[in-house]
Amino acid sequence: MSVGKHFSQVALVFLCSFAIDAFAQVRPVVIYEGAAASPVAPAPFSPSSDLWVTLPDLTRATGFELKPQGVCRNELCFPLPQSREKDFLRRRESATWFNLSAFARLLHQPVARDRKFGIWDFGAPPALHNNYLSTLQAPGFTLPDANGKLHSLSEFRGKKVLLMTWASW
Amino acid sequence: MAEDTGGLKDAGPWIAKANPEYTVLIDRQQIVTKLYSMVNVPTAVWIDERGKIVRPNEVAFVDNRFQWISHVDAGPYLAAIRDWVAQGDKSGYVLSDRELRKRLTPASPARLMADAEFTLGEYLYHAGHGADAIPYFKAAQRLAPDNWNYKRQAWALSDAQRDYGTTFAKEVQKLNGKPFYLPRQMPASPPKPD
Repeated sequence: MSVGKHFSQVALVFLCSFAIDAFAQVRPVVIYEGAAASPVAPAPFSPSSDLWVTLPDLTRATGFELKPQGVCRNELCFPLPQSREKDFLRRRESATWFNLSAFARLLHQPVARDRKFGIWDFGAPPALHNNYLSTLQAPGFTLPDANGKLHSLSEFRGKKVLLMTWASW
Repeated sequence: MAEDTGGLKDAGPWIAKANPEYTVLIDRQQIVTKLYSMVNVPTAVWIDERGKIVRPNEVAFVDNRFQWISHVDAGPYLAAIRDWVAQGDKSGYVLSDRELRKRLTPASPARLMADAEFTLGEYLYHAGHGADAIPYFKAAQRLAPDNWNYKRQAWALSDAQRDYGTTFAKEVQKLNGKPFYLPRQMPASPPKPD
């Protein structure tokens, strides 16, 4: 193998690594209230400490959508403060961008961020997490059994449920 | 409900050995830990036919094999479950709404932040970045210091002494006689229903 060919292969590997790293830095991944991670388009404007997402990405990653009455998911709607619209919405490159970080602050939602891999984890807003304290209804979930079959707590309606946790550790 | 970040790999052998007749689910994101504000295992919640909580989180051993360390007798708990199954809403172990609201408290901002940090750690661990997950597991442990699930799970995923400077045995020793499990608020024999 010639030195030149060897060098070009090394250079190619180096460039590929750089491209992967750069991709990891600029293409954010959103985990929203524990749902599956969702890559979103990077915002086209200057670096921001906030995460801005397109409206299609907002809906895909979080289930929320922008409506005239606010940011809504099913019957749940959070009005945006009218005097602060520019904190939440920007129009660039024929797309509308939504500030998911500002929305998290509005909901007092915890956010954990990993800069190395570009991951943003938006946890449970306190009002939603603590809602069951007023209804006393057991919070629902869907999880797999050992065969991968999914089961929801709601399947057991009509029976008593002893919800018991254990662990291998 | 297996609260195991390792998922089927870690929980599967235990399920196979137990060969249970009841439903066993695998919770590799500790979703139930977070939703129900649990801090240890075994923990149980009683849920009635309408999906309403009738007894919230409490330590739930079903035999006494770990009593030497837990100091929890399973006998009264099993008797209480049988009473609930037989009596339903009339069981004296079913708590009133007032008592439930007294026992169920809102999750603090720090606790919810701990959940978010732990979720991020889990994601990185599952993505093959175990070393990168450790700072987030540590943050969760710092923010929710009473949560043994977050401690023991993270310690089990790597070398606890090397990565966290401690072990489960050392942390139990630090309790210095204080109970590892919150004592159950449950009478020893069936209370008379109102």
